Amino acid sequence: MKPSLLWLAVGLVVWAVLPLVVPRNVADLLVFTGIYTIAGLGIGLLLGHCGIVNLAQATFYGIGAYASAYCTVMMGLPSLVGFVVGAVIAMVLAYVIGRPILRLTGYFLALATLALGAIASALFFEWDWLTGGTLGIGGIPKLELFGFALDRPSRYYFLVWIVAFACMATARNLVDSRTGLMLRAMRDSSTAAAALSIDLQSLRTRIFVVCALFGAIAGSLFAHHVSFVSTQSFTVDRSINFLLIPVIGGATSIPGIVAGALFITFLPEFLSKLGDIHQILFGLALVGIVVLLPDGLMGALGRLRLRLMQRGGHGG
Amino acid sequence: MTFSLVLQAIFAGVTNGIVYALVGMGLSAIFKGSRVINAMQGEFAVIGAMTTVLLLSNAGWPYAAAIAAGALTGALLGAFIEVAFVRHMARKNASEDSFLLLTIGLALTLSASILYFVGRDGHLLPPLGGEGVLLVLDAVIQFHALWLIAIGIAATLLLRAFYHRTTLGLSMMAASIDADGAATTGIDVGRMRTYTFVLGGLLGALGGILVTPLVAVDYTLGLNLTLKGFAAAVLGGLTNPLGAAVGGITLGLVESLAIIGISSSYKDVVAFSVLIVIMILMPQGILGRAGRRGG
Repeated sequence: MKPSLLWLAVGLVVWAVLPLVVPRNVADLLVFTGIYTIAGLGIGLLLGHCGIVNLAQATFYGIGAYASAYCTVMMGLPSLVGFVVGAVIAMVLAYVIGRPILRLTGYFLALATLALGAIASALFFEWDWLTGGTLGIGGIPKLELFGFALDRPSRYYFLVWIVAFACMATARNLVDSRTGLMLRAMRDSSTAAAALSIDLQSLRTRIFVVCALFGAIAGSLFAHHVSFVSTQSFTVDRSINFLLIPVIGGATSIPGIVAGALFITFLPEFLSKLGDIHQILFGLALVGIVVLLPDGLMGALGRLRLRLMQRGGHGG
Repeated sequence: MTFSLVLQAIFAGVTNGIVYALVGMGLSAIFKGSRVINAMQGEFAVIGAMTTVLLLSNAGWPYAAAIAAGALTGALLGAFIEVAFVRHMARKNASEDSFLLLTIGLALTLSASILYFVGRDGHLLPPLGGEGVLLVLDAVIQFHALWLIAIGIAATLLLRAFYHRTTLGLSMMAASIDADGAATTGIDVGRMRTYTFVLGGLLGALGGILVTPLVAVDYTLGLNLTLKGFAAAVLGGLTNPLGAAVGGITLGLVESLAIIGISSSYKDVVAFSVLIVIMILMPQGILGRAGRRGG
């Protein structure tokens, strides 16, 4: 067996056994890691391949979550309907809003997405006939798959991560496809890309829509996991947290997104054992990463490996 | 809709607008001098106001001294951030995004620090000029609001004089317009960037101190002020601190006039929608290209 295949097999076994051997609270965090990976993948595509800072992902996450909550609790529809409705609303909204605002660039675009996130967060709060406001919507049913009740973190884990892998494959295909080539051309020289008649704006809009789709799926999965959604989960702070995933891990690398998602779920949990000071430490950890590892954990790992290989080469 | 209601809304809008303007001017001064979008600008306001609150109520300082110390704390914090982080990253040619993320990280750290060291309670400062109110055609205007407006306008005019009349201000402008050119004429470009952050911290802290008699300051206020200040700065054209003053007042007025017609809870929705529309339709800010000359 080739070493890469061997690693893949080992990884798969670890992945499959992990939720069964760890304590329930760790399995719970692993579920969140999967959900955040899905939301973070979209932001990573925008940041790494289009240079767009998206500070509105909590909006699409919220749309997915509320769609699932409303469809299942208020209307008694099957949970799949919630997923589809959330995804469709998020994608349509991303298209309608993305079309005009993606003409902006750099900081202005970052600010526009931030403003969008702030508007959505205020609307989630105001439209309490739809969202339940701060009281939220409770009693969202756990999912079932072919008669299996996914009512425990260690079971829900498998569904969440299979969806996450599907999203990763989609992201990878997108990057490796013709679209990906156009994206690279656009990132490296937007003028040259425009001269090759690549429609930059529609390309950026398309990625924005994919990002929103991932956000909505993650939101629906979140709603079914915690069975209760309220406005506090979809604030601008949440969007900032989502943005940190690709920043910490490395935006262009898919394992980097997973690393970033692990970081933002496990580090606060670990630090909270130290008491109230944990939020300060989390902020400092973030500052440290931005200052010391500008290309994220995966970038730093890659450089380390390169250096080790060079050293090995000299030795031989 | 009565006339006094409109008048009341206009005064409220100008009052809020001056606060947005001060935060926005600081943000814009920092952007102009360093090309860094400072996502922790609102934290300067919170730190300045908190310092003033603590010195006044816990240490028993006179009000004026506590205000001066609060503003100075903002300025020193600005200097610290430039020296400790920004300088280091600028030397490594860090990207725009990483500066944005740095300041987001600092904003999280500072707001968590306030939660940890001061607690979650909101704090108010006593209003300047006492509790009195002025009645203008049935519209109630607090004396404090008049002080706030006067100080805000004075700060804006002083800032303009600083950039146009003083050697230091002109050097800072030169360093921001053409760093290499400024360096050849003997301007220490790095130091100018530090001063830029001092100025930004000072303006932010002043905004925070002035708003605290009207809105209780707590650890969550920073993000909202950053957003509004950012909006003010963008409306004014981003690189023009004086434009941010116009932008801030416009934003304040739009907000408070819009909520006469609809529920007051839609204030932020209106403000941010206007921001998005203006950014798309008027990328140079509401003053257009002419506004660029002003700063």
